[in-house]
Amino acid sequence: MSTTAEPQLELRGVTKRFGGVGAVDGVTFQVERGEILGIIGPNGAGKTTLLNCISGVHRVDGGDIRWEGRSITGMAPHRVARLGIGRTFQIVRPFGSMTVRENAAVGALFGSSAARRGPKQAFEIADQVLELVGLKAKAGQPVSALTIPDRKRLEVARAVATRPQLLLLDEVMAGLNNVEIDEALEMVRAVHATGVTVLLIEHVMRVIVGICRRAIVLDFGHVLAEGEPEVVLRDERVIKAYLGERYAKRLRTERGQDSPS
Amino acid sequence: MIATADSQRRWRRLFLIVGAIVAAYALLAPLTSLDAAQSANVPLLADKFWFRIATYVVMFVVMATAWNIIGGITGYAAFGNVAFFGIGAYTTGMLIAKAKWPFLVALPLAPILAALFAALVGLPLLRLRGHYFAVASLGVGVAVGELVQNIDYNGQPVFGGASGLFLPIYAVGHRGLFFFYLMCGAAAIAIAVTWWVLRSRFGYGLIAIRENEEAAAVLGVNTTAYKVGAFALAAALTGLAGGIFSQWNVFINQDNAFPIEYNVQMILMALLGGTGTVFGPAAGAVLLQLLIQFLGGSLPISIDLPFVSTEARPIVAQVILGLLLVVVVIFVPRGVIDFFGGRTRLSLSYLRRSLRDTSL
Repeated sequence: MSTTAEPQLELRGVTKRFGGVGAVDGVTFQVERGEILGIIGPNGAGKTTLLNCISGVHRVDGGDIRWEGRSITGMAPHRVARLGIGRTFQIVRPFGSMTVRENAAVGALFGSSAARRGPKQAFEIADQVLELVGLKAKAGQPVSALTIPDRKRLEVARAVATRPQLLLLDEVMAGLNNVEIDEALEMVRAVHATGVTVLLIEHVMRVIVGICRRAIVLDFGHVLAEGEPEVVLRDERVIKAYLGERYAKRLRTERGQDSPS
Repeated sequence: MIATADSQRRWRRLFLIVGAIVAAYALLAPLTSLDAAQSANVPLLADKFWFRIATYVVMFVVMATAWNIIGGITGYAAFGNVAFFGIGAYTTGMLIAKAKWPFLVALPLAPILAALFAALVGLPLLRLRGHYFAVASLGVGVAVGELVQNIDYNGQPVFGGASGLFLPIYAVGHRGLFFFYLMCGAAAIAIAVTWWVLRSRFGYGLIAIRENEEAAAVLGVNTTAYKVGAFALAAALTGLAGGIFSQWNVFINQDNAFPIEYNVQMILMALLGGTGTVFGPAAGAVLLQLLIQFLGGSLPISIDLPFVSTEARPIVAQVILGLLLVVVVIFVPRGVIDFFGGRTRLSLSYLRRSLRDTSL
């Protein structure tokens, strides 16, 4: 019973420095099984670095990352993937010489221990996943024929095909228009509905408010605020981090005038 | 769409039929040198000279196909694969000449030792990418040859030194025929291995590494193990060719077991034929090796090159090969295999498109 009380993923004081700069500096938070957690923050706040630390792309300089109670700090990326942590890249990295279907199949051929099928079954899984993200009609096409939103879908499809328990999404909505964002939100909801925990890095506030029950704000490598998205986004420190001190002051005085006191 | 698919299928069938006929002729023609064929007055299509060239051609089919596994499928431009050829040659050579092992028992150790060596140097080397890996692997290729020639023990060269290593002649009837078919067997293994790799999980992992190594890793591909595996597999096949070569040639030294120009030739063959494909490197090896022999003046059919004296032929051959490399890389980036099977046709627009794709 104690295992169910345990968070799925736990970060304790995770630190990553580049030269003298602490890109991620003592970050501590937990991800509960089955939730959609948003991570927001201005440019350079360390969001992508944090994702790289979790997925093993970066080796952390300090702190501990625990998956289902066991430390995965310093683990190689492919071993993290096999534990059931999938991820996407902000700048998409498709396998250019493969078709859309083959790209997704690579996820199912390797991926978590729940995946790892032979080629024939992997292609079946690829077809299911492509249907889930809405790329079924383009399965046979080369990646070069895909639009940017479709390439982002493919990035998600590949990660989902690894059968992850936790999916780390790095700005999958960046660069999309409003209609495309709505479609992408639908896709993330569909993936979440299959029982996958989602950790979402986003710049687009509408996405965070629309889909996350909980959000964490990162600034200069620190956790600035944590809580419900609507509450967090009204937090003065968060506004200051995004829009600067002066804007925060103006907002404070405006709010002061608005209130009937 | 349907019409193109139809014509593609037709082209493909034609290509397969023609390929099968040519391969059958190349494989069966040597049999006319057998006593039985001679006494039956079958027209002779083969002499000793033919075997030598044909065996060389097939040897390069093995090496180019093997290079394709690390260079074409995995995308790591290995420039020192001749080290594996030499290690294979010296493994069999030493076992036969010094330990008096029978040839067929010594031969399997050539690929095994070459693969072990590749795994050993691959672990540090394959951490490098792009040009760094290419240069480092070239260094290894050169260094192994120098080591083999210069290692002494108690004042005696261990591997025969500068005077090389002589092997006893392998007692078998129709020696030329035997080694030609043995080399063909090695080529068949190399092609079959490539065919299997491209359909397996291993192959998909290798292609994923070539296309984007970091993306492959986060999808669960053990990139280090896969790269070393591909390197060792290429080394094993190249070592097998070397092992056969040493007994076939009876004499090995640094010059013929570690020729630096083989490094460039096997890469050029794979590029010319089409990297990452099953038959491309083999096709490239046949075309290029015949061209090399032709330019060198050692083919039965030969023409006098205008303005070139006989002594200058090998040098002119090198120049022509260099120019060919440039032209191939710029204009036929996917190799001549692209023109077979009806995928594309060689035309001016094809060359123009290639030029646009390959220029910055």
